[in-house]
Amino acid sequence: MDIYGQFGPRLHDVLTRLTDQIEQLSHQEVAAGRPKLYEHLIGRVKTPASMAEKCQRKGFAVSTHAALRDCQDAVGVRIVCNFIDDVYRSLKLLRQASWCQIVEEKDYITNAKPNGYRSYHVILKFETPFADVDGATPGYYYAEIQLRTIAMDSWASLEHEMKYKHDVKDAARISRELKSVAEQLAACDIQMQTIRQLIQES
Amino acid sequence: MSLRVLIAEDEQQLARVLTAALQSINYEVTAVENGELAVKAAQENAYDVIILDIMMPVKDGLTALKEIRASGDRTYVMMLTAMAEVDDRVTGLDAGADDYLTKPFSLKELLARLRSLERRNEEYDDDVLTFADLTLDNNEQRLEAHNSISLSKKETRLLQYLILNAGKALSTADLINHTWDDDDEAADAQDLWINISYLRQKLQAVNSTVQITGEKSGPFTLLQP
Repeated sequence: MDIYGQFGPRLHDVLTRLTDQIEQLSHQEVAAGRPKLYEHLIGRVKTPASMAEKCQRKGFAVSTHAALRDCQDAVGVRIVCNFIDDVYRSLKLLRQASWCQIVEEKDYITNAKPNGYRSYHVILKFETPFADVDGATPGYYYAEIQLRTIAMDSWASLEHEMKYKHDVKDAARISRELKSVAEQLAACDIQMQTIRQLIQES
Repeated sequence: MSLRVLIAEDEQQLARVLTAALQSINYEVTAVENGELAVKAAQENAYDVIILDIMMPVKDGLTALKEIRASGDRTYVMMLTAMAEVDDRVTGLDAGADDYLTKPFSLKELLARLRSLERRNEEYDDDVLTFADLTLDNNEQRLEAHNSISLSKKETRLLQYLILNAGKALSTADLINHTWDDDDEAADAQDLWINISYLRQKLQAVNSTVQITGEKSGPFTLLQP
């Protein structure tokens, strides 16, 4: 049995329910005559191995309870938006949604990480018809939502390649270039947002 | 920075004194004795300053200056003219000289002018400007406050001018004038408005407290609340 124990298969059902809810939010926007919320959505259940590694690293017990309660990102969804405004529109709708409760928000868009990483992270808690690790039915599950623009997403993919290639030559220079391109992409996001506003105003 | 100076002067005594004086303050000096050699040297080497005497054999300073400018060379040029020749000075400046000294001139004055030029090159063409919580890096075209973001060339120039004139109400015409080169670029109030809009959003994106106030028709003012 892996770290998720009997909850392993359940987590995929939880993920499906969550992505359905978020898709609903976008459908409602479109039905109300507004642009779609996001360009695409991706979801994943953190692999048991990396969850076990995380529990160890954080000093938690390597247990199903720790994996689903101390850690809150076993289920993760990334909302990738065309424009910055869409990120904030998605956030607003998540905050208003009755089916979930926001437990934590980390704004790495306003507070970009020193390496240039930009994204908005939210931890959600929501009810499901399934039993949870505390024995309650209906049970509660946590999920991490990452909201970002396409530009921020491309940047994160590039940075990911750098991070997981251990023999990068002249890593300091590459890091500097990555930081600089993050600033340029942030500038593009702002410019596209501004142009979009100018179009809407005219 | 040590300035690289080309001196074209046919009076050997004066050329020697100038060379020695400039070398003593660590400038790199090349001295030639006529206009033709000056044109040749300017084509082959990079200089920060060219000092051209007007009256020279083989090719005079004015002709040399015109040829140097015609080749696209924008090096700072100082002409040495005789006292009486007002027309020489006017023709020299009009032909593309940046400054002139009237002979006989004091060495002290020449050195002061070169120092002034160095200041202009280094300090005023400022790499980094700061204002309130903002840092504007003109070379990197980068704006930093709580966060950092890239700027376009136009946004950089516009913000630089707004910072240097912070608190003043700057008209649309004034801002267009200082942001776009009038000889090879066309820009109107709408172009300015778009760039002001970009800058406003970027100030917000880096979480700065600095604001650009003003309606679409201008004037605009950079303010620290």
